[in-house]
Amino acid sequence: MFFRMMNGALLRQKGKMLMIAFTIALGASLATAMLNVMLDVGDKINQELKTYGANINVVPKEASLLDDLYGVDERSGVSNKYLQESELGRIKTIFWAFNIVDFAPFLDTKVTLNGAVENVELAGTWFSHHLDLPTGESLDTGMINMKNWWDVSGDWITDAEEDSAMVGSLLAGRHQIAPGDVISVAGKNGQKTLTVKGVFNTGSDEDELIYVPLKVAQDLADRAGLVSRVEVSALTTPDNELSRRAAQNPKSLSIKEWETWYCTAYVSAISYQIQEVITDSVAKPIRQVAESEGAILEKTQLLMVLITILSLIGAALGISNLVTASVMERSREIGLLKAVGANDFPISMLVLTEILLMGLLGGVIGYFAGLGFAQIIGHSVFGSAIDIKPMVIPLVAVLVFLVTLAGSIPSIRFLLSLRPAEVLHGR
Amino acid sequence: MYLRMITASLVRRRSRMLVALLAVAVGATILSGLVTIYHDIPHQMGQEFRSYGANLILVPSGEETSLSGTDVKEAVSYFPSDSVVGVAPYRYQAVKINEQPFMAAGTDLAEVRKTSPYWFVNGQWPEEPGSILVGTAVADLIRLVPGSQLTITGNDANGKVFSRDFTLSGIVQTGGKEEEFIFMSMADLEDAMGDLDVIDVVECSISASGTQLNSYVQQIEASVPAVTPRLVKRVTESEGTVLTKLQALVYLVTVVVLLLTMICVATTMMAVVTERRKEIGLKKALGASNESVTKDFLGEGLILGAFGGLLGVGLGFIFAQTVSLNVFTRPISFRLSMIPVTILISILITGLACLLPVRSAVDVDPAIVLRGE
Repeated sequence: MFFRMMNGALLRQKGKMLMIAFTIALGASLATAMLNVMLDVGDKINQELKTYGANINVVPKEASLLDDLYGVDERSGVSNKYLQESELGRIKTIFWAFNIVDFAPFLDTKVTLNGAVENVELAGTWFSHHLDLPTGESLDTGMINMKNWWDVSGDWITDAEEDSAMVGSLLAGRHQIAPGDVISVAGKNGQKTLTVKGVFNTGSDEDELIYVPLKVAQDLADRAGLVSRVEVSALTTPDNELSRRAAQNPKSLSIKEWETWYCTAYVSAISYQIQEVITDSVAKPIRQVAESEGAILEKTQLLMVLITILSLIGAALGISNLVTASVMERSREIGLLKAVGANDFPISMLVLTEILLMGLLGGVIGYFAGLGFAQIIGHSVFGSAIDIKPMVIPLVAVLVFLVTLAGSIPSIRFLLSLRPAEVLHGR
Repeated sequence: MYLRMITASLVRRRSRMLVALLAVAVGATILSGLVTIYHDIPHQMGQEFRSYGANLILVPSGEETSLSGTDVKEAVSYFPSDSVVGVAPYRYQAVKINEQPFMAAGTDLAEVRKTSPYWFVNGQWPEEPGSILVGTAVADLIRLVPGSQLTITGNDANGKVFSRDFTLSGIVQTGGKEEEFIFMSMADLEDAMGDLDVIDVVECSISASGTQLNSYVQQIEASVPAVTPRLVKRVTESEGTVLTKLQALVYLVTVVVLLLTMICVATTMMAVVTERRKEIGLKKALGASNESVTKDFLGEGLILGAFGGLLGVGLGFIFAQTVSLNVFTRPISFRLSMIPVTILISILITGLACLLPVRSAVDVDPAIVLRGE
């Protein structure tokens, strides 16, 4: 009987019920889209911020500072330390390997340019290097990904082009070097003729450098298989009190704290893990990048949370408004039911079940529509898909349930207070 | 008469109209709140991005090796004063501690705190003359802790040897080259060197978009020949991309939210109007024309829209202000243009949402409606 009545009510009022379902679907889709975007915006913005470049610098333990500051190299009795190129693949095998976006090794050396200009800095690196990991995976990493903000006139070079080079704009400007020119560089171990394929402008002191494939620099400097530093670009979690304490001394943490720290993608934890796999290395977080990323990420996430809350409130009010309005319209029908002897409980159950059924229908449709919205936002803003988080489903379900319930309660109370005689008489 | 009818109808059906008003107000709040935030994001986030440090540096032009204070002042005057976050001049000098060579930098430490907020100082920032900061690399090398006394020696501008005592007030951690420097106030370094007004490089942190920065660069290049301004590309480029993406995100979200709230407002208004078919029938039975009935409803809708819109402007600003204070800890500026825009849009939407159901209702035969069929 109950079902027949409900079926009847639903079918007779098809239009009205569909409108309720439609509104609920709209609200649910909004909630789904906003929640999904909100939960993913951190990762997305983090990816964008990676254009700021590396946030971890790996150098050999006790690397000499003198070369950086005074150009004193090992001939004057200071011996430099190096990292092993063969160990670099291990960076992708640490606990947070998945968070390592890119990395590139550098071998810095000094050369004589065109037989005349001494002490020009030359760096060998991976431009786009294919690496097969011991785990069986493979990846492509290198400068082209990490420095995509460079303003290059000419072309990037590839690792295979061992007779090509890229020259910084300041150096190129001083010596009238243009893409296509041929330069000769002389290192400790022989001389090499290189074709300039690109001139880059970075607005930093890198503009004074010549970049060549790693192998070329190793030959010139007579340092086969060695690199002097590695820049790593990693996705990290903003620092908090724990990570700051850990950064100063990981040994000061209790075992539980240490585990939490080690298994969270703090920049200090990732640095620590890199040190574990690269022999005799020190991995230093670059504070300029790491700190600011944390700050900007936090702000963006908070902004999205607040906007999401506002739109959820908007959706909730819209839904409950409509539910109230449409239930109140049915006073005549309820009056009739009461007149033929129905008491309060079955009437409330009838109305509630109807509304909740519509809520379920609208919620399901809305959830999928919302996924669509989220993907539209993801693709048009970030150019990549938004991750679909399963935890959104219960959130949206609870939200829709509560909102429809809250929307129908005042109207049900109103219906119950109706006097059948008055309603049916038309007053 | 018209006005009395409308107000009476609004007042008599107080609770139902409040519901409709609430719907309109929520829609208007979302509109005005999100649009205000959307407009303020580049400004507010731009400030946050300044924590990446300087985005423009001034270096000597051509053969010159140093800048003078007056040139720098002239160049800096091209930046609008409210967008300058910090301007820190640096002078570098090779010095020795315990006969070991180091690089000392004289600067305005108060400005450095603004241009490089990412510096992590273990200890205190120097307050008084004679106290200095050193990088961790230096501190590790000669085993210094905050509070240590040290003697810095070197050759002054005239080639004579100087020797000065300093107190170490803090150790700087940055992960970058700064860790290998000694930082002291410009006055201390000038006092030791014995000459004034020598600046190697000036770091400027300017809160401005890429195009604005480019125009400052051009202006300075054209009018201050002694100074070459250079953009720090890494900072400016990525700031540009991230800000554009963020603004696009809020824009899209605003559009989606707005669309949905509009539909919600419209459905609510439709429901409110539809339940008054009997009233329409009565009016028609008394001889009202279709137009006058439509006009009555439209009038109600417009009043609802206007009040809802007005309410929305206020609530929207409160919302935007809350967001701004919570997220950026800075107040947001009120946009006067939001008032007419919000009210107009809410009137338009409610008017439209009223018209549709009224249209179908006026075609009904009054006799049938009044009989209750």
